[in-house]
Amino acid sequence: MNLKKYITLTRAGMIESLQFRLGTLVIIAGNLLYLIVVYFLWKAIYASAGTDTVNGMTFSDTLIYLVLATALFNFMEMYIVWEMGRSIQSGKIALDLLKPMEYRRYMFWSYSGSFVTQFFFTFLPTFIVVAAVTQGAIHLGFNLLFFVISVVMAVSINYSIDFLVGTICLYTESIWGINIMKQVIVTLLSGATIPIAFFPEPLKTIVYFLPFQSIYNAPLSILLEGHPQPLALLATLGLQLFWCITMTILSRLFWKASLRQITVNGG
Amino acid sequence: MSNIIEIKNVTKEFKVLNRREGLRGSLKDLFSRDYRIVRAVDNISMSIRQGEIIGYLGPNGAGKSTTIKMMTGILEPTSGEILVGGNVPYKDRTKNAQEIGVVFGQRSQLWWALPLIESFKILKDIYGVSDEDYNSMIALYKSLVDIEPLLHKPVRQMSLGQRTLSDILAAFLHNPKIVFLDEPTIGLDVSMKSRIRTLIHELNQVKNTTVILTTHDMGDVDALCQRIVIIDKGKMLYDNDMEHLKGFFGSYRTLKIRMNGDLKQLAGTIQRELPDFSVSADDEWISILVDEERSKVMEVLNQLQRSYEIRDMQLEEISTEEVIKKIYEEGVQ
Repeated sequence: MNLKKYITLTRAGMIESLQFRLGTLVIIAGNLLYLIVVYFLWKAIYASAGTDTVNGMTFSDTLIYLVLATALFNFMEMYIVWEMGRSIQSGKIALDLLKPMEYRRYMFWSYSGSFVTQFFFTFLPTFIVVAAVTQGAIHLGFNLLFFVISVVMAVSINYSIDFLVGTICLYTESIWGINIMKQVIVTLLSGATIPIAFFPEPLKTIVYFLPFQSIYNAPLSILLEGHPQPLALLATLGLQLFWCITMTILSRLFWKASLRQITVNGG
Repeated sequence: MSNIIEIKNVTKEFKVLNRREGLRGSLKDLFSRDYRIVRAVDNISMSIRQGEIIGYLGPNGAGKSTTIKMMTGILEPTSGEILVGGNVPYKDRTKNAQEIGVVFGQRSQLWWALPLIESFKILKDIYGVSDEDYNSMIALYKSLVDIEPLLHKPVRQMSLGQRTLSDILAAFLHNPKIVFLDEPTIGLDVSMKSRIRTLIHELNQVKNTTVILTTHDMGDVDALCQRIVIIDKGKMLYDNDMEHLKGFFGSYRTLKIRMNGDLKQLAGTIQRELPDFSVSADDEWISILVDEERSKVMEVLNQLQRSYEIRDMQLEEISTEEVIKKIYEEGVQ
């Protein structure tokens, strides 16, 4: 019974995202363009390197990684910062706060519907195409199960970060700059645009201590590693779980404190 | 019977940054700690019983919305106590939300891209309304308004009137104890206004829902409210029933006269002759609000007849609109 009120939001989100057919097409077309650019960019990089493997990755390794990262990005990107910022500016947030549900959960579940549709419409087709074209580059075994677990945690971490940044909009009342900044930091440091293997050593170390790599790098490395060492797998998932919990707590606390701010000083 | 809303000595203050002018001022503002305190609501108390329809009136910026936001739990009062259905709204906002419904002016809580019926189903699940209650509510709606054509229409394709109607129905859907309506008839045509008034009235009667209505349209007040509360500059000016309000200004009557010539100009001249009373003109009539304690309407008429040619005249009891206008301008003595 209690779960019903969340599922209904997922369902609504799915119906809502299916209303915008043209939007989906444009996103797919935009991605294709992006991938073409990526293809030629990395081809040039590998050509100038003069070797087949750079930083332990072959050209096709890199390309598979980036294609899947893009697909994953489309599926996980939620535009929560944008949405929160807009509802703060327009005052619509008052109506959302008056739902008999915690705001943070309300937002998450309202968005969850688009996860489901994006998963089936962008991630899954891309995955199937990549798997079919590369024939065997992606190992189809237990790693898929761990990948799913990893993605679920990645979604949670990503949401917490978005929510945290969205909360900042309560103070700044502007969205654009903050949103762009967040996007750049997350996509770069998470390994969504450049595989982390290509980062210089010091940066690599720093990145491993930050939550971002748990969003894209962790699930993708699990997916692409055919026969992982159990210990390494456990470490990756464990680190994700750690960030999952930490970021949830942080974003909750920050929201709670900030909400007090608006209830005291008006919104 | 106990009170559903209890407000005791509530004050709300905001800290506002003192803004400076121009580019240089804006730059300085970035580092400014120069705040001033604005008191939006100043020591207000009232008790509201279950099932009442209250007109909550006041000029723009009087503090109406702030009070409503405190009652819904979005704002925390600086001092004083608010109890809504036994809850302290800002502490138990989520719990309180279950007991209230809101319609905020032109903002919609409906799902923009979805047909109305989908929004209703979502709200049903969010508020945990049982199938039985939901069906009986929808049946009630169908008996009150013609919603059949609206149910399968996406909200974004609706006219403002249809959307407001839908929003009001959505606010009542979980059978809340209290519904807050913030200017529900703003921007609507005459026939839609009257449909919405009838709807609110019927729902209040059938469900015994307490309705708190803010509006600038005295038609809403006349049609719906038994009791009105007026605030201005955060202070409570008036809290009593409608009859009593008219009694306050019982000695006022409006004398309307029709004359040849430019009425606006004539109104100006008459105003100078009768400085004690307020004179205004529209396309057809010149209206003079006469305080009968100062001089009788007949005397005023006599005086005017000496210098003007009057073609027609009417005598009207004071309307709610004028009473409220007087209170806004002069307050209650």
